[in-house]
Amino acid sequence: MSTTLRIGIDVGGTFTDVVCIAADGTETLAKASSTPHDQSEGVVNGLRNLAIALGLDLATLLARCERIVHGTTVATNALLERKGSRLAMLTTAGHRDVIEMREGLKPERYDLRLPAPEPLVPRRLRLGVKERLRADGGVAVALDQASLDAAIAALRAEEVESVAICFLHSWRDGAHERAAGAAVAAALPGVFVTLSSDVLPQIKEFERFSTTAVNAYVGPVVSRYLGRLRGRLGEAGYGGPVFVILSHGGVAPVEEAARLAVGTALSGPAGGVAAAVALARAGLGQDLVTFDMGGTSTDIAMVAGGEAALGRGRVVGGERIALESLDIVTLGAGGGSIAHLGSGGTMQVGPQSAGAVPGPAAYGLGGTQPAVTDANLVLGYLDAGNFLGGARKLDLAAAQAAVAGLAAKLGIDVQACAMGIHRLVNARMADGVRVATVRRGVDPRDFTLLAFGGAAGLHASAVARELGLKRAAVPLFAAGLSAWGMLQSDLRYEMARSTLEAGGMPADASIAALYDQLEADARARMGQWYQGEIAVQRSADMRYGEQVFEIAVPLDGIDWQGPALAEQLRTAFHARHRALFTYDLPEEEVVLVTARAAAIGRLPATLGAQRAAGATATPLTTRRIRLEAGETEVPVFGFEALAPGQALRGPAIVESATTTVLLLPGDTARMDGRGWLEILVD
Amino acid sequence: MQQDPQGSAPSTPDPVTLAVIDNRLRAIVEEMGEAMLRTSYSQILNSSRDFSIALCDAQCRLVAQADHIPVHVGAMPWAARAVAAAFAGNVHPGDTFLLNDPYFGGSHLPDLTIILPVFADGALRFWSVVRAHQSDIGGATHGGYNPGATEIWQEGVRVPPIRLGERGELREDLIRMLATNTRVARDFRGDMMAMIGAARLGERRLEGLLAHYGAAPLDAAVAAVLDLSEAHARRIVATWPDGVWQGEATLDDDGFDRQDVVIRATCTKQGESLTVDLTASDPQTTGFVNSSFANMQSAVAMAFAFLLDPEVSKNDGAFRPLVVQAREGTVVWARDGAPVTMCTSHCSNEIVEAIIRAMSGCCPQRAMGGWGRRFRVAIQGRDARRPGKGFVWHLFHARPGGGASSGGDGWSTAGEWHSAGGLKFGSVEMAEARFPLVFETHEFLPGTAGEGQFRGGLGAELSLRVESDGPCRANTAGDGIRHGSAGMCGGQDSKPHHYVLARATGEEQVLKTKSTGLVINPGDRLVVQSAGGGGWGPPEKRSAEARARDEREGYV
Repeated sequence: MSTTLRIGIDVGGTFTDVVCIAADGTETLAKASSTPHDQSEGVVNGLRNLAIALGLDLATLLARCERIVHGTTVATNALLERKGSRLAMLTTAGHRDVIEMREGLKPERYDLRLPAPEPLVPRRLRLGVKERLRADGGVAVALDQASLDAAIAALRAEEVESVAICFLHSWRDGAHERAAGAAVAAALPGVFVTLSSDVLPQIKEFERFSTTAVNAYVGPVVSRYLGRLRGRLGEAGYGGPVFVILSHGGVAPVEEAARLAVGTALSGPAGGVAAAVALARAGLGQDLVTFDMGGTSTDIAMVAGGEAALGRGRVVGGERIALESLDIVTLGAGGGSIAHLGSGGTMQVGPQSAGAVPGPAAYGLGGTQPAVTDANLVLGYLDAGNFLGGARKLDLAAAQAAVAGLAAKLGIDVQACAMGIHRLVNARMADGVRVATVRRGVDPRDFTLLAFGGAAGLHASAVARELGLKRAAVPLFAAGLSAWGMLQSDLRYEMARSTLEAGGMPADASIAALYDQLEADARARMGQWYQGEIAVQRSADMRYGEQVFEIAVPLDGIDWQGPALAEQLRTAFHARHRALFTYDLPEEEVVLVTARAAAIGRLPATLGAQRAAGATATPLTTRRIRLEAGETEVPVFGFEALAPGQALRGPAIVESATTTVLLLPGDTARMDGRGWLEILVD
Repeated sequence: MQQDPQGSAPSTPDPVTLAVIDNRLRAIVEEMGEAMLRTSYSQILNSSRDFSIALCDAQCRLVAQADHIPVHVGAMPWAARAVAAAFAGNVHPGDTFLLNDPYFGGSHLPDLTIILPVFADGALRFWSVVRAHQSDIGGATHGGYNPGATEIWQEGVRVPPIRLGERGELREDLIRMLATNTRVARDFRGDMMAMIGAARLGERRLEGLLAHYGAAPLDAAVAAVLDLSEAHARRIVATWPDGVWQGEATLDDDGFDRQDVVIRATCTKQGESLTVDLTASDPQTTGFVNSSFANMQSAVAMAFAFLLDPEVSKNDGAFRPLVVQAREGTVVWARDGAPVTMCTSHCSNEIVEAIIRAMSGCCPQRAMGGWGRRFRVAIQGRDARRPGKGFVWHLFHARPGGGASSGGDGWSTAGEWHSAGGLKFGSVEMAEARFPLVFETHEFLPGTAGEGQFRGGLGAELSLRVESDGPCRANTAGDGIRHGSAGMCGGQDSKPHHYVLARATGEEQVLKTKSTGLVINPGDRLVVQSAGGGGWGPPEKRSAEARARDEREGYV
């Protein structure tokens, strides 16, 4: 077996998943415990486990590997745990509090005793520099060397590791930022310097400054991590390319990920969405809702018309990140979420979680409060002796005792309480999907629920029912789908530039020139990493004159050589507005705010092989489970053993080493040869 | 069409069904809010989010409410009640009702409220309610705030409860008439459609719940949800000592001949209940700082909600421990015909302040320092970059500071008590690109906060140069240039606002909070020093570390 391999690696809170796809389409999943102090250790452990699973040694595995794609939570964790670099900001004099003002907004409207958060950059390290551009980009005040020197002297005294340079209107012209950045780099060698005109060259200072500050905060941490990872992989014998999956779902080489480290803030969940896009292309359906239920949280996203929805409204660890990223809604509930009696007297699930340690009571590691997993065990959905393929024994008595504690407070029996926890989680998940889809102006009922992550299979059918969805799907690879998805992503590089003309739209020639320049820049950057054919997607952020929210308008249908370019863009915007909001305003002024071009380098698809037809599988065993209607005996099938085309009827359980699927009465399911179980709900 | 007679409802539903229904109700208002945010047209709604969503049951009790603007919290059921009273026995599936009249269930004229009935089995079960602040509502001045008004007819169009749509058909003639009476007919129409759309979404979701659970079991669950909130609130109130406490708050003036208009609250805490008596407040005023009845009820409910734990569901049950007493003809409850447009800010803020001052004697750990007062400026003029197009700009920048509390220092530039960090100011870059304005300085103003064991949030300094094509006209509306944000429990008041018009000629004019027809010439600057928040606890208890940090970071 000297075939080449591609390897996807997803570092989660508990496990590091490693997925390998061979040239013949053979897929293999291995896992290792995550190592939060240095994620690269867990990565190498995972690779070692993968080598064992394939009967190879690590060096041979890596010698055959032609590409590694990596999803990392280093930036996310640095933000959440406030363990980023010691940073400063140089900004336009008179405007040093932009990031701490937060546009006047405070969360938790009725919690007036909530303390204010510490700003990412302390006020004394936000230093004003005398300079000022006007809104049209003209220089009102030239960059003042004396005030710049004074600021740099202050930075030297504070021993900062990184500096964000954020001047007003720099999206029009980054010359002042570049000059200041060069002066800082020359005076303070080794300091990470990042410019707002480089990170996010678009109008609206809070979004641009905040995103740039986050980049300075996580940049050194991500750089060091990726350096260590390269080092460890090198020692183990790997010299090939390493890519990192970014928040927008595309991948980029490690060097680019280190430069724009803020773009990795949503690297973790991006793999799952990339997988959904790949499955949509493989024939699962053009319209999907992803439902990625993990231990402490659940990520929900949409794939509509085969494309993942993008947004620009992310907040991670309380910090605004305005880069284009996958529009993922995260709910604070998962398999490890604790059920409890809330202060208001009703039963609640989450946001507290049992985490990896002590974990659900059933783990027997000291947890005493009932987690969702405990309820699922009490209900008979999980096999106490064969959880994670037997890698972890579950303690049924401990789970029952934990649920009994809550049941006593509610005055109901243990089984009813466990059923209640299961139902309440399903209801919360369904509500999360509703809110996520209404944000996109979409009615989800014609969508397919794509359930993955270790815990989703037990809830997929019930959540689909709650939502009125007719169809759900659980991939065989549900537990490692994010790592798998990373191998399906294309290279992507985004360029954006704001433009704001008094009349709303630039002249036709200026529009063409603007997009041509963006495209040339994007192609040039992509060309440094990638020799294949590059596709470019153009789009625009536009709004009506008096609106404040722009909407993203794809410009695929524009005839760029044709006449009346501005009018073509206007027409595309009206149509998009009508599609999103049911109406348009043809008389109103249309404003082009930001022009965008994304260069895409298509990496060869690495879909798994069609599963060979085999004998129809018979149940491994039967199990007594509790459903809403009462107790019943159901067949248990092995997921891998199901033959392509094999049909099942609920109630039934389908399980593999890494995931369990619950089919409810009335469900019909069919094993698809392309690697997923399709569930049609009644 | 009335609800089922009492007694036919089954007994309390099981705790799991209860939890699921409680979650559903909250998710419905959240979903309605998202729809509103995405579809509304005017900046005040889609950017500043000045709207609220509520579901009421057939008895017009507040069942669930999205956390948008606190001053709307207790006001929405009054709108549903006004519709129920005006159209008793004459409400049909598919009807759409509208009102804004402060003397018929509204708070002030710019807030329009859409109210839809929700039916099951031929009986009225719920009301789906959406309230949103319009960018204009007619009247003598642009934007609805007219400090010169001495009667409500000078403030805009009054809409008592009307049937805007009948059995699924909207009355296009009525919508046209209303839109025609505003200066921004297109915004008005777009926002109206967004409101109706969000309310319809609520109706559809409630119909789904009704179909799934059945009307009677759902009624029983709703009743149980409200009872649980009531019990939650009562448990908290019961931990406070019994007694009688008094507090007062003072408005600067009414814009005419009255200065120091006083709101007086007597709070009587007994057992699990709290009575707030505002009857001793000053008589109503000539100008627009009077409150309507529903707005006064809402301001009291808001103060009470601020004192409870944030986890308490804001529904009818939570407010049952609260008894409100007031007298018609006072500034907190004006007689029909008086102007009231300022009331959602002022005197709402002062009603809250008087109550919190009183309660600071009862539950000091829960009483918080005062949040800043609102002082708005609207500038109208021409921009040479857009010939032939006028502009109107509303000041949302230089927000005042939030109040300190036992939880820590206040939030800087987070705004006023009535919005509590819920209103957003826009981008300086965007404002400079769209208006002939230059923001020379927009920063925290050290030293503006009230001192205390915990200090208030900082106010801001704004220096705004006007570069219009020819002179502009400006109006102001607000309060707080004589009285700062209230200190509590030994904390100090903040400095008041100080707004100056600095002429290019070198002349300076201190601005009043209620004036019309100011002329601003190109090159003139608006120089704002906004108030910080009030302090909490005696300043001598402030820790050395906190003082050192203030010094180091430049907050003082």
